[in-house]
Amino acid sequence: MEQAKQPVKTEVMLDIFKRTMPFQVVSDAMLRKIAAVSWRVTYEPGAVIYDAGDKADDIYIVVSGKIEHALEPDVQARRPVQTLKAGDVFGWAALLEKFPARLARAICIERAEVVRINGDELLRLLESDPDAGDVVMSRFATMIRQDYTVPDLIAQLRSIHRKLHAADIQGMNPTLYRVSLWLKSPRPYLMLIGFALFLGFWYLAVEVWKLPRFREMPGITGVIKEWISKDPTYGLSLYTPEYYEHIGMSVWRVTQAFFLATILGVPFGLFLGWSKTFKEYLFPVFETLRPIPILAWVPLAIVMFVATESAVIYLTFLASFYATALNTMLGVDSIDESYIRAADCLGASKWQVFRHVIVPGALPFIFTGLQISVGVSWFSLVAAEMVSGQYGLGYVINTSYTMVRYPTIVIGMITLGAVGYITSAIVRLVGDYLMQWRLRELAMGGR
Amino acid sequence: MPQAAARGAIRIDDVVKIYDPDGAAVMAVDHCSLDIEAGEICMIVGPSGCGKTTLLNAIAGFHEITSGTITLDGEILCDTAHPKAEPGSDRIVVFQNGALFPWKTNLENVAFGPTMQGELTRAEVVEKAMGMMADAGLAGVEHNFPGEISSGMRRRVEIVRALMNDPKVLLLDEPYRALDSLTKSVMHEALLEIYYKNKVTIFFITHDLEEAIFLGHKVAIMTTRPCKPKKILIVDIPHPRDYSALTSKRFRELMEETNEAVHEEALKAFEAGEKEG
Repeated sequence: MEQAKQPVKTEVMLDIFKRTMPFQVVSDAMLRKIAAVSWRVTYEPGAVIYDAGDKADDIYIVVSGKIEHALEPDVQARRPVQTLKAGDVFGWAALLEKFPARLARAICIERAEVVRINGDELLRLLESDPDAGDVVMSRFATMIRQDYTVPDLIAQLRSIHRKLHAADIQGMNPTLYRVSLWLKSPRPYLMLIGFALFLGFWYLAVEVWKLPRFREMPGITGVIKEWISKDPTYGLSLYTPEYYEHIGMSVWRVTQAFFLATILGVPFGLFLGWSKTFKEYLFPVFETLRPIPILAWVPLAIVMFVATESAVIYLTFLASFYATALNTMLGVDSIDESYIRAADCLGASKWQVFRHVIVPGALPFIFTGLQISVGVSWFSLVAAEMVSGQYGLGYVINTSYTMVRYPTIVIGMITLGAVGYITSAIVRLVGDYLMQWRLRELAMGGR
Repeated sequence: MPQAAARGAIRIDDVVKIYDPDGAAVMAVDHCSLDIEAGEICMIVGPSGCGKTTLLNAIAGFHEITSGTITLDGEILCDTAHPKAEPGSDRIVVFQNGALFPWKTNLENVAFGPTMQGELTRAEVVEKAMGMMADAGLAGVEHNFPGEISSGMRRRVEIVRALMNDPKVLLLDEPYRALDSLTKSVMHEALLEIYYKNKVTIFFITHDLEEAIFLGHKVAIMTTRPCKPKKILIVDIPHPRDYSALTSKRFRELMEETNEAVHEEALKAFEAGEKEG
């Protein structure tokens, strides 16, 4: 039977782990933590380490000796009976969620020393460090596949992976998880290089080489100096309150227009997609109005709305509304007929189909639409603000042009770009939050 | 023949389906008659595009028939006067490419039918769903999304979703077509296991003769467009079956007996240049 648990030096344990396939590439720090939930046990020949049906609590690494491992007959494995030697791992049922009980019988056939690791503790440790955890689990999966070839367990093997992926994603929130992945990849650094090249070219072209077409342009150093100056030559910099008033005004206008476009565009698009009659009435009108540029709307907008502010918001709203409505409609069109039929079969009413199938099914397209919508709302805003309005980034750019304040134009442009980027990132985050199923699916497919 | 089930008998009587999308009539189903007994697994075998799915759609209520009658337990689903059956939870379809809602978790998918029909409380639905999933070997994936589990498991979830509604008939439209053969063999046994527990009538479309003989009480080999039974085979291998049936002598004999007929239709379909469908 089992002998007294032996306290072992961590270093010895680390050595054993490093000779064991699933743990070979794990960091020392992690192995130390695993060592803390492991202990060594010696078995005499004939001792039953565990029997089929026993509770699956620990996994085992053979340090020395021989152990016979026999899978239950109804687990159809290609190699049901195996002799395990130093370095082999067994008892992996402790890592499977679906099998709380042993699937095999393990008997000591030659005095054996083993390391036992508590399965739950090990899983918890692996989940805390998804990078190491992924390697260990996929190696376990490979090992089980090679050594046991149990067709019935193949689904379970997949679910080991799945469990880990789920752990990856559930452990952190999905967005943080993606950010952490992103920071580990080369992408952010490539992005920085991209910016550096762009700004470097600007600097060289305007200020060093003085290329023909670039000579008159404001140089990067002039723009930055103006931007961070406490006393800007042209009256607008990070230190002047007007700068923030302009940003605030533009953001406020875009927000109103975007929300209006969403509140009206999504239902409109859903009905266009959902009802053939509705579509036949309204889609041709919609398609005729859609190509008309915002600038062409300016005179009518001024006539239609007495207040300048409403006219600006109307102009900003228009293109966003088109983008949202059109994408939403395409989203409904994209829904596989089978989903609707399945819902019909399962007894859903027309309204339930709409609520449970049409809306969530169209959501990916709706969010594509909203991304475009928030982008075009910035486009149209600048056009609208150039024509009328007292404040806003478009207004800044336009008045700076007429007053020959070139660095201020560039400050306005860069600010627009940055604020626009932030707003579309926010839309993306909201979309990710509402469509976790998609995020998780992508996370599965991406590896 | 199965003993218990007294419900779910389908009678297809002289059904004709003519499509005329561009004015030119195409006969998809030609005076087709087929009796499926209550609690029977009836396998419909034919080459791709032969019109078998048209028949399934007519029973499910997705499409109209041109003439003829289809009854379920003596009640008329559709006939010449009412060509389109009303879809209902007594006949549930398991789709070729799977139709689990990817935006709902597996549990929410399984609970969908009773939740929509509102006959049970939320807690009752969840309890029943968890129980049925556990029975089908799906414990542990309840809170995952369908996209996170293997395709074999997804099919099982879909069948459990159908069974949650206590249907009279399951209509399966080549559900295992996209699965690899290893997973497929596991799924066949799983389906039989579920069938032995639930005893519903199963109307199962496939183009795989081996699958048909292994699973079915009755195998209807269909002619290619227009579709009607060419040969009806009663599979006298006793249920419950397991995978050893595949290597039995009787199985081989039945395969030989029918292979010719199927091959002939496949050849005809190939020559006619039928598209997959």
